[in-house]
Amino acid sequence: MRRYRKTAFLFLAPFLTVFIAFYLAPVGYALYLSLFVKKRIGIGPPKEVFGGLANYIRAVQDTDFLNGLKNMFVFGVVQVPIMLGLAILLALLLHQSRGPFMKACRTAFFMPYGIPTAIGAMVWGYLYSANLSPFNQILKAWHQGTIDFLSPAIVLFSIANIVTWTWTGYNMITLFAALQNIPQDLYEAARVDGAKTWDIVRRIQIPLLLPTLQILFIFSIIGTSQLFTEAFVLRPLGYLADNITPNLYLYLTAARDANYSYAGALAILLALLIFVISGPFLRRVASR
Amino acid sequence: MSTEPVSVKSVSRTAFWRSQASPGVGQPVTPERKRGASRGAVGRYIVLIAFLLYCILPAAWIISAMTKDNGQIFTTFGLWFSYPFHLFENLSGLVTYQDGIFVRWFGNSLIYAGSISFGSTLICALGGYAFSKYDFPGKKFLFNFILGTIMVPSTALVLPLFLMLNKIGMVNTMWGVILPSLVNPFGLYLMKVFWDSSLPNELIEASRLEGANELQIFWRIGVPLMQTGLVTVALLAFVGAWNNFFLPLIVLSEEKLYPLTLGLNVWNSVTAGAGGKPIYNLIAMGSFVSVLPLLIAFVVLGKYWRGGLTAGATKG
Repeated sequence: MRRYRKTAFLFLAPFLTVFIAFYLAPVGYALYLSLFVKKRIGIGPPKEVFGGLANYIRAVQDTDFLNGLKNMFVFGVVQVPIMLGLAILLALLLHQSRGPFMKACRTAFFMPYGIPTAIGAMVWGYLYSANLSPFNQILKAWHQGTIDFLSPAIVLFSIANIVTWTWTGYNMITLFAALQNIPQDLYEAARVDGAKTWDIVRRIQIPLLLPTLQILFIFSIIGTSQLFTEAFVLRPLGYLADNITPNLYLYLTAARDANYSYAGALAILLALLIFVISGPFLRRVASR
Repeated sequence: MSTEPVSVKSVSRTAFWRSQASPGVGQPVTPERKRGASRGAVGRYIVLIAFLLYCILPAAWIISAMTKDNGQIFTTFGLWFSYPFHLFENLSGLVTYQDGIFVRWFGNSLIYAGSISFGSTLICALGGYAFSKYDFPGKKFLFNFILGTIMVPSTALVLPLFLMLNKIGMVNTMWGVILPSLVNPFGLYLMKVFWDSSLPNELIEASRLEGANELQIFWRIGVPLMQTGLVTVALLAFVGAWNNFFLPLIVLSEEKLYPLTLGLNVWNSVTAGAGGKPIYNLIAMGSFVSVLPLLIAFVVLGKYWRGGLTAGATKG
């Protein structure tokens, strides 16, 4: 095989080139930038000077950033379990019978995943908005007053709903595929032993879905940490705090405040945090 | 846990074919089901229908709003049609508004998604081939390292990317969107797995004995056997690029270069902003037209789409 080493490298070269240029290099550049701070020296515009870990120290004391992280934490412990629970329920229900209706359901449930997030969020924004919302039209018709879905108190739930709408079907389809891979003999053996549907769900299907579920959980946590588009698209329609998600805060720090070195530090901290959270799960999955 | 890792092949070929096979084949028949429809079955249908309605709710808004004018959108029920229909007016409004900028956005999206899909599929096919068919020092480490980067949040990457592109003058160019999107670690992973299962090593050995060089083996013998893998990765890359929002938002500043997602968002913020001329009818029409190619791909190539996505998570 030794004689093919050079060939292997040539096959790999295009991937490695873009990977290094547009993946590793930016991360390295961000690391480098994050070590600088803006300082005003005498008269004139502020200059970038070396600041060591100053940006990182500022970040861990930045209450706006920390509140953004807290929002995401709440989001993770509320929305992710609801979504995955719903996905399991739907996958199990769809697995129990066949027919055109079930097939239509599978397709329809998965469809939101294929719709661009920006468009899905925008249309949900109209479904929420004070003037257009059909929910409020119904409430008004019944003289029940209206709900402002984009008010600060409930906007996080409104975003959670969009995320649930988008991703439940994807998780469901994945779990459904995993269910299809459970060997038939297991069901037959269980039935011979007199197992009821619920026994099969609890003793066979759920345990065998666990590995898939763990990966979906990691994906969902990473997805939660990346929430941006939904919040960004809803901003013109209602009042959304700058730090409703850490990513939005990061974006505004760079794009609006032009504080690139601080944004770089925030980006690196966020990536590290995700690694710390998903690392143990990943290792468990990998060791399987 | 005792489950065996499921290969992409078995997910995409077995599970999904089976799931579309005739009713009842290989289906666990629960005792309840045998006893006939009972309370459980009714409950099941209620849950499924409720979720079905939830899933199509935004589609109902889009489809009804694109047949209304702006007045009707505010005054009539948002989830149903009203008379008179304005579908064709909205369609012509969509392609002529602001000198037809929507058509341009649509073309841009085609350029972005097309070139990213083609480029990244080619790059991943080559790279996956190297990981599947050759041995070289550090192979395992490199593969795991590249795979590990799937876990890096995209913002943590896109923002630094912007800073770098800014430095090299690639901000606000199409290349600034296309080139970074060619990096597709998940595509590389899928390609490696597909090469593992699609091209037997014996066939490579035999071709070498016949005097074929390595590139010929890849191109003439490998590629024709890889239809499923190539279509899957190309489709996922196309959909990902078509739906991308964050990278173009950060890289592009000129509206002429925007893809559809970004363009519609501009209309949305202008319309929702103070003093903006409401064009909800055009936004609804535009949303429908933007999603249409995906719906077609979904119906025609759905099994590749689902097969590729589920492979990532069921391969434990």
